[in-house]
Amino acid sequence: MSGLEVKLRASLEAAADCSALLAGAWSGLPAADLARRPVGLAGRGAVSLGELCEVTGDATGSVRFVGDWRRATRLGAGLTEGAVVIEGDIGDDVGMGMAGGSIEVRGSAGGRAGAAAPEARRGMTGGELVVHGSVGREAGALMRRGLLVAGGGVGDHAAVGMIAGTIVAFGGVGPTPGLWSKRGSVVALGDVPIPSTYRYACTYQPVHLRLMLTRLQARYGMPVEARHLTGFYRRYSGDLAELGKGEILAWTA
Amino acid sequence: MNIRGVLIEETFAEAFTMRVARIILTARSPRWAREAALKLTGFATSVIGCKVEAGIERELPETETPDGRPGLSILMMTMGKDDLPKRLIERIGQTVLTCPTTACFDGLPAAPDRLGVGSALRFFGDGFQSSKVIGGERFWRIPVMEGEFLVQEKFGMVKGVGGGNFLILARSADAALAAAEAAVDAMASHAGVILPFPGGVVRSGSKVGSRRIKSMIASTNDAYCPTLRAITTTALPDTVNSVLEIVINGTDTDAIASISAGNYGGKLGPHHFHLRKIMDGAA
Repeated sequence: MSGLEVKLRASLEAAADCSALLAGAWSGLPAADLARRPVGLAGRGAVSLGELCEVTGDATGSVRFVGDWRRATRLGAGLTEGAVVIEGDIGDDVGMGMAGGSIEVRGSAGGRAGAAAPEARRGMTGGELVVHGSVGREAGALMRRGLLVAGGGVGDHAAVGMIAGTIVAFGGVGPTPGLWSKRGSVVALGDVPIPSTYRYACTYQPVHLRLMLTRLQARYGMPVEARHLTGFYRRYSGDLAELGKGEILAWTA
Repeated sequence: MNIRGVLIEETFAEAFTMRVARIILTARSPRWAREAALKLTGFATSVIGCKVEAGIERELPETETPDGRPGLSILMMTMGKDDLPKRLIERIGQTVLTCPTTACFDGLPAAPDRLGVGSALRFFGDGFQSSKVIGGERFWRIPVMEGEFLVQEKFGMVKGVGGGNFLILARSADAALAAAEAAVDAMASHAGVILPFPGGVVRSGSKVGSRRIKSMIASTNDAYCPTLRAITTTALPDTVNSVLEIVINGTDTDAIASISAGNYGGKLGPHHFHLRKIMDGAA
């Protein structure tokens, strides 16, 4: 295969903070150098990635994570470049504050995907975070730019404090999405509860969604159906307790 | 040279360098894509009087457009690189933005020169506009009474060639028109080529400058006017009673070398398409 592969030798015994693995420039790193990057293992402190995983392959700007990464947190935090694929589920805070590149999770993700770090004012500011399964609560919190996609459902309080950017949910969206959103878009292809601070605008066919969904289907194999492309969307503007330039686009027949 | 009884004169077609943008225009139906395209490319035959030359390159099926809707590819060309963004903004703003269901995309994504088009048109949104970055490209969503107008932020610009031409010297006006129509039909939908004049055909070919008015950049090509044969230095054989010209603009010289003769003594431009060399290859 082309690119790097990071394969866990055994299931993680404790929560592993992976925030330092792919932050900054990494796509040109040989396998050995990536293997030296630290992972914060709960109860043990920092260990090298190579201690937990086999890191193989060539530096081509892409990396695959193989194994059970459900206890890994903050993987892809601060990502600025390259293509990251996670073959399975991933823990909390995947793509936290990412600014570029792409992360494809071929399972489900925990809470706060693409969200801001606790001390940060902004969540992801660019790039694409695509989760084939579901994502947990507070996905895209304080998101400033970029695209976050869930092939399944999205947990509660998605897009809370969203400044801009787009969240696409193929499944249902949990309670109170888009609270305090300024300009962000939540695109709901399944059920979505509309918060009381959003107001219905119209039912129409947003052309940009055809571009976006077509790309998601072509690049990531997302389950886009003809009805998503040709159907109508109800537009709700909000959060009217904030700037009010955000929106929830809810697919309808 | 003679091909099927038609004399090919020993001359060359003379063309000039232009700046080109390719616009991909889509709409809910082919009808509305064409309506917008016809307005967008209207009054755009010659930079001499229209500031821009434009034409429909070809129809695009749904499978070839960015948003999966029916569309058309359009080439728009100017002499100067500073002129092109101005013409794009005013024409897209007046003819595509205004047309129901349309959207507008860049058709030269690999061109390194990028012109801000959507970035200027967005101001029509009066602060209500918004943008989305999709696949690394920014698109502007401009709210309009019908819904939203979607336009790409930047359009590519490349060098092209304008004014490539050949003349049909016929025994009658009917024969000239029939030959011109056949030529246009043969060139229609050729990628990278537009024929900016009405139906692709020019009856009023011009020469550079004027005999009488110094400020005129072009005036009637009297050497090829049959009615002036007796009183000017004519270029017409005795049997010719009507002349039509096909003008061809292209994204590169390769695009028009196969179809391109009328020259102006080297005063018009640096690109010379020697007709016999070309017809030798085609015969």
